[in-house]
Amino acid sequence: MNNLTRRSLIKSALVLPFALQAAKSDLFAQSGKINYWHHFTSETEFKGMERVISLFSSKYPNVGLTQENIPNADFMAKFTSGVLANARADTSMVTSDRLPDMVAMDGLVPITKNVNSWNLKKYFPANRWEGVTIDGEIYGIPAFTFVDWMYYRKDWFDEAGISGPPKTFDEFVNAAIKLTDPSKGRYGFGMRGGGGGQMFILDMIESFGSKIVVDGEVAIDRKKMIDGIRWYSDLMTKHKVVPPSAPGDSYRQIMEGFKTGQTAMVWHHTGSLTEIGGALQAGQQFMSATRPAGPDQHVSRLAYLYNGIMTERNFDASWAWISFWAELDPTIAFLEETGYFPSSAQVAEDVRISGNIMYKAAVDTLSFGRLPPKFIGVSGWASGTVLPEFQKILVGDSTVENAVDRMIKGLEETL
Amino acid sequence: MYAKQLGELSETRSWAYILILPSIVLIFIVIIYPVFHGVSLSFQEMQLTKPHKSGFVGLKNYYKLFTDEVFLISLKNTGIWVTVVTILEFSLGLLSAVLLNRAGLFVKVAGVLILLPWILPSVVAANIWALMLDSRLGVLNDMLYQMGLIREYVAWFAEKETALISTMLIEVWKGFPFFSLLLLAGLQSIDDELYEAGRVDGASDMAMFWYITLPMLKPVIVATIVLRVISLVNSPDLILILTNGGPGYSTHVLSLYAFLKAYSEFNFGYSGTISVFMFLILIFFTILYVRMSRLNS
Amino acid sequence: MKNNLKKKSLIILLLGLIVLYSVFPIVWTLITSFKPESDIVTNELQYIPENFTLANYSAIWTRSGYPRLIANSLQVTLITMVICMTLGTLAAYSLSRYQFKIRNQILLFYLVIRMFPVVLMIVPLWIMMRYFGLLNTHLGLAIAYTTFLLPLCVWMMKSFFDAIPPDLEDSARIDGCSRLTALFYVVLPLARGGLMATAIFIGIAAWNEYLFALMFTNSQESQTWPVGLALMVGEFQLPWGALSAGGIISIFPVILLFSLVQQTLVKGLTSGAVKG
Repeated sequence: MNNLTRRSLIKSALVLPFALQAAKSDLFAQSGKINYWHHFTSETEFKGMERVISLFSSKYPNVGLTQENIPNADFMAKFTSGVLANARADTSMVTSDRLPDMVAMDGLVPITKNVNSWNLKKYFPANRWEGVTIDGEIYGIPAFTFVDWMYYRKDWFDEAGISGPPKTFDEFVNAAIKLTDPSKGRYGFGMRGGGGGQMFILDMIESFGSKIVVDGEVAIDRKKMIDGIRWYSDLMTKHKVVPPSAPGDSYRQIMEGFKTGQTAMVWHHTGSLTEIGGALQAGQQFMSATRPAGPDQHVSRLAYLYNGIMTERNFDASWAWISFWAELDPTIAFLEETGYFPSSAQVAEDVRISGNIMYKAAVDTLSFGRLPPKFIGVSGWASGTVLPEFQKILVGDSTVENAVDRMIKGLEETL
Repeated sequence: MYAKQLGELSETRSWAYILILPSIVLIFIVIIYPVFHGVSLSFQEMQLTKPHKSGFVGLKNYYKLFTDEVFLISLKNTGIWVTVVTILEFSLGLLSAVLLNRAGLFVKVAGVLILLPWILPSVVAANIWALMLDSRLGVLNDMLYQMGLIREYVAWFAEKETALISTMLIEVWKGFPFFSLLLLAGLQSIDDELYEAGRVDGASDMAMFWYITLPMLKPVIVATIVLRVISLVNSPDLILILTNGGPGYSTHVLSLYAFLKAYSEFNFGYSGTISVFMFLILIFFTILYVRMSRLNS
Repeated sequence: MKNNLKKKSLIILLLGLIVLYSVFPIVWTLITSFKPESDIVTNELQYIPENFTLANYSAIWTRSGYPRLIANSLQVTLITMVICMTLGTLAAYSLSRYQFKIRNQILLFYLVIRMFPVVLMIVPLWIMMRYFGLLNTHLGLAIAYTTFLLPLCVWMMKSFFDAIPPDLEDSARIDGCSRLTALFYVVLPLARGGLMATAIFIGIAAWNEYLFALMFTNSQESQTWPVGLALMVGEFQLPWGALSAGGIISIFPVILLFSLVQQTLVKGLTSGAVKG
């Protein structure tokens, strides 16, 4: 070998590892196979997710993403089993009410450092992070938002001469009473007394001025809680403005009730807009409105849906995936398919949102909305104690006071 | 050749053990660890979301059971549920098996039709019944209304009394084919000569049923009842979808309670305790029932 | 003669009522599967679909990955049936024909596995399946199913064997058959009704099983049909039409499977039956 070749060989031998290293960090940083656990189910959600996935694959061709769809009712069962059996997915969907439990069982990896050095962080106002922060550590990136609001039958309101949607609880009850007419099969309010309805009960507690948990301790004002729960249960037991099936009505039932012209008002969030819009005429038959304000607090929730990382196994690829949801194109793509409210302020200003009158109520709510209660055991307590006890009041099996006392007792045991 | 060697082996005493060995070994391997794990959990305070509070607490969880109102309600509901459903399913199953046995040509078609509820997956069955009984969209409500039996659509799952009864009727609908088919197979294996002899002696149909059919069916009856009771106690499938234990706790059964404790409150220790308790009840029932039926022989 | 006719018609009538009870919801499922969603979620109930449509069926076929799910379910079910029936029937025969001291305890042991709520078993089972490399495999799921269905098989087959008097085998053995041959050529054919009924229940149980399938498989490789169905029932939607179509579709492979089982069993057993 002549000198030239040998020297260049040595040189390349020295350089090569570094070159490889550089290439490696480029290639391998966002490469590998990761999987994603989620509970999207509707066709629109799927279409939205598929568009996001294809956009993702074109940006990060070396990352193999597998999405795994788990029914929402069993999601925590699979998540928990995954943690216990050390069979974690790389990334997972995270809802704010499940977050405390997920973190407490060590199911998520903190991503605080990455978020703080992320260029898109500035587009998310502070409260977006609050819902996914525990003890100062951030555990997820917001993907989209469910803004609490309500739907009302504009045509019925016009017919009865009610000028606009109720702004306070008093107006709400009065409107409901006015619009209830069992002979026509009409009720003022589609109360969700079945699965999922526990969140509204918590809203009632806060609307009447009681806190629930502060710094890990029970902080309930018994009298105010009784007032709140009484006001809400009276809708069925005293004023009879809800359909008799209320104690068993869950999401599907309250939506069916509203869509088939049984109820005048129903409380939910922005996620159901497309569904209702498919059955009733927006603007003419139904409109959206902000939730009415309680006597003490105006409670309306901003629930962000996050994506988090469960294991550090393929951290870079996982980070790429979850942070991708915040970028402009995928967010708009998802919005176009599902109508879900984005969590990035940047996207919320997009004309598709700001120019749509149906979204006005949601945009208004953004300014005063609050996060859902967040403490370890909240979802178990709400679904396992609060809801059944409330149902007992509805069916006449318990007084408000006794039910509240049992709810408080249950809370003490949870903490 | 192997066949001959096997044949000779089958004459030996150890053949009895060889036949049962594979299944016992399989079961043993598969369940020994989970059962051990489950039982040990029941003696622990294991709340997944409170790792610092976990550890052995001896019988504390078991004591807690007896002051736990929801547990006691679930226990009562489970008792009612299992008893009523088993009796109804068995009766309907026996009746249909007897009828099928005499149905001649219709047997094949009717048999398959009766089996359909069992074939339909729980998630579809539960939801279709929820739809049929729905207080807004329900065809059963509509039919009852048109027949003048009700004045307005009933919300079957929203009231305590009707919730439990409705879920029971749906469970019976789904479960009686189990008895139908197995009892039918049992009926068909009863020798016709026995009936011939009975008829010669001048016995009536009812007498023959009581003195020939039932005794010959006994092993199948005992087996099906034991299996079905265990199944009913242990699986909350339909209830989970139909009512999720509500309204209030009126359709809470033990298996549902154990499931919710584990996967909704992440309290695995207590869930284990409930499970062990259910296990003890079942063992007790099985031994008692089998012994009683042996006595009657 | 009149008495016989009366009896016959009573039998048909009663049977008809029972069949009605069983079949009505299925018929309703069928009707619903042909309706578009807007005709289901409506104030005006339709008994006959006014806007008959097959859209729900095509939705299932395309969206849920139906062919793959069904294929997976079929494979798992078949494997389960074969292993379970084999092991279980052999054990049942032994328990029926032999007297051994711990027989009752062994019978009880088979039942014990079904006495624990499945909830508790999931996590440890998962760990074990992973240890043996059985996750996401048809065999793994089949083994899990077999284990929990063995009690059904053993107890049922034992009861059917108990109903067959041992004299026939004994005379066959006197004629020179070994116990094994007697089992195959004498006992099994006589028990074939019970054999088929048990096999059918094992198969249906494996086909419809949801919880293990959800936990032990993932969507890409080995997910089974019940999980695919359950995924349609979402937080935000319950597509009645599609779910109904899914339910109807569930039934057919099962019925097909069973005519197959019935044919195989009947053929296999009667061809070897000892005459006389």
